[in-house]
Amino acid sequence: MTAVDDLDLTIDEGEVFGFLGPNGAGKSTTINMLLDFIRPTSGAVAVFGQDAQTDPAAIREQVGVLPEGYGFDDPLQGREYLEWAIETRGADDDPDELLELVGLAGDGQRMAGEYSKGMQQRLALAIALVDDPDLLILDEPSTGLDPNGIQQMRSVIRDRAENGTTVFFSSHILSEVEAVCDRVGVMSEGRLVAVDSIDGLRENAGGHATIRLECATAPTGLGVGTLDGVVSTSVDGETLIVNCADPSAKVDVVTHVAGQVPVTDILSETVSLETLFNDLTDGGRDSDEDGATAEVVQ
Amino acid sequence: MSAIAVAKKDFRSARRSRSLWLVATLLGLLTALIGYSYEGYQITPTESVQQLFAQIVLLLSLLLPIVALVASYMSIAGERESGGVKFLLSLPNTRRDVFLGKFCSRLAVVGAGIVFMFLTATVGGVARNGTLPVGFVVALLAITLVYGGVFVSIAVALSSMVAARSKAIAAAVGSYFLLVLLYVVPGLSVFMLAQWVHTTLLGFDTNLDLYNAVSYTSPLTAYRQATNMVFPESAEQRVFRRASDAGELPVYLSEEVSLFVFAVWLVVPLVVGYVRFQGADLE
Repeated sequence: MTAVDDLDLTIDEGEVFGFLGPNGAGKSTTINMLLDFIRPTSGAVAVFGQDAQTDPAAIREQVGVLPEGYGFDDPLQGREYLEWAIETRGADDDPDELLELVGLAGDGQRMAGEYSKGMQQRLALAIALVDDPDLLILDEPSTGLDPNGIQQMRSVIRDRAENGTTVFFSSHILSEVEAVCDRVGVMSEGRLVAVDSIDGLRENAGGHATIRLECATAPTGLGVGTLDGVVSTSVDGETLIVNCADPSAKVDVVTHVAGQVPVTDILSETVSLETLFNDLTDGGRDSDEDGATAEVVQ
Repeated sequence: MSAIAVAKKDFRSARRSRSLWLVATLLGLLTALIGYSYEGYQITPTESVQQLFAQIVLLLSLLLPIVALVASYMSIAGERESGGVKFLLSLPNTRRDVFLGKFCSRLAVVGAGIVFMFLTATVGGVARNGTLPVGFVVALLAITLVYGGVFVSIAVALSSMVAARSKAIAAAVGSYFLLVLLYVVPGLSVFMLAQWVHTTLLGFDTNLDLYNAVSYTSPLTAYRQATNMVFPESAEQRVFRRASDAGELPVYLSEEVSLFVFAVWLVVPLVVGYVRFQGADLE
């Protein structure tokens, strides 16, 4: 089975890049390749211009990772795990400061294995932040976190990004990516189907801004379809549904209809990212090519 | 070297394992008991101590592989199963650091256990006999440490090749069967097997030294033969089955060959395990 196929992706220094896709799209496989946990059948993976397979330790020096599928199996306290990470990196971070940053102040003396999922996720984030790495790779970082924890994590990510840290962030939750990322890449069935800013993705979706008008009588034969910027119209009982190429056309539609029949309610919808996401990730393409090239931060 | 950081963390966790302390205590008591209760008939105190250690060697030859395998079979497989390896390899560690660190840490754990058993046996033996042949005990300890190290090497190597507890258990049990039990169960030993193949299957005349050489490939046989380097003639163990008129032991069955057998069993598993671990997909 090919999990990731023909991936070509470059991420710039200092940006927050969201890596989006449904479960099983190949996000973690890509991240595992960046870290040399698994090797591509063909192609090359480089981080900071260094090949992931020839010198993984050099990459790991510069990268902080919140992996997926980790476990705290050793009988060690949360703080001891953190101390170990600090020692391994040869850093001089204060473990208590890091614990506080991720909201674990006061819990450092407890066994990490006895933490709840959310607390383990916070500890894993703290480990990733040790020694202020140049690149943060976060695989589904909000897994198991409560809303407060998600807020805290976002603010940490933003702070680090402002200080010049590049963040590579995978998620299957749109709102999360929308809230923190400069640019997103969308994975579907092992392929990268789109790379753009959130706004860019919206625009490319064709701007199908939809307006629904509930009228007193059946709104037929009003000639809405002839208006500038209207893509299509349909009628469902007393409701008129109009797709516009541009949100500004909605006003014209309302004025035009209101002049002929009484309008009882107006419902306006912008392009939902969910729709966009579903459009992009439905139906993968088949290919015989078997190569993966990913390059993170040049 | 971050292998040291890996080893330190691993050793720290091992020290907190209650079952490990329990096993060490029980074994220490056992050897102390043997040390204190062994009594030779009409021999000097020194000879008595030597013979009691011959008993301990016999016990350890069967027990130590179990201790080393149990202490090490999950060393790497456990990290792969639980996902701990994700942290190990997200930090600036290489797979070599992880492999070496785990090996060194488990070596230290098993080594400490061996030293402890020797200490209690010595205390027991000295309390009863009032004499301590230091050089003899230290030499025997050194050989036993190597024997324990061989099984740690085998266990860590096997552990690095699998990613689940069930498979790690199967590998550990299988290796104990193949490397230990198959050399001691009388009806089903490698010696008998070699003889059967040689005489019944191939139709040759019986050649006991050939079968001895085949069974000398086991770390168990090597350990028993290596300890004979330390024991005085009176306490030496007869390791090989030979005809009464067979004369001198051939060179390839000499006691010194055991060191070569040990070296092979130390190095080969480590190399194979390391290469396999290097190429493994860690998901």
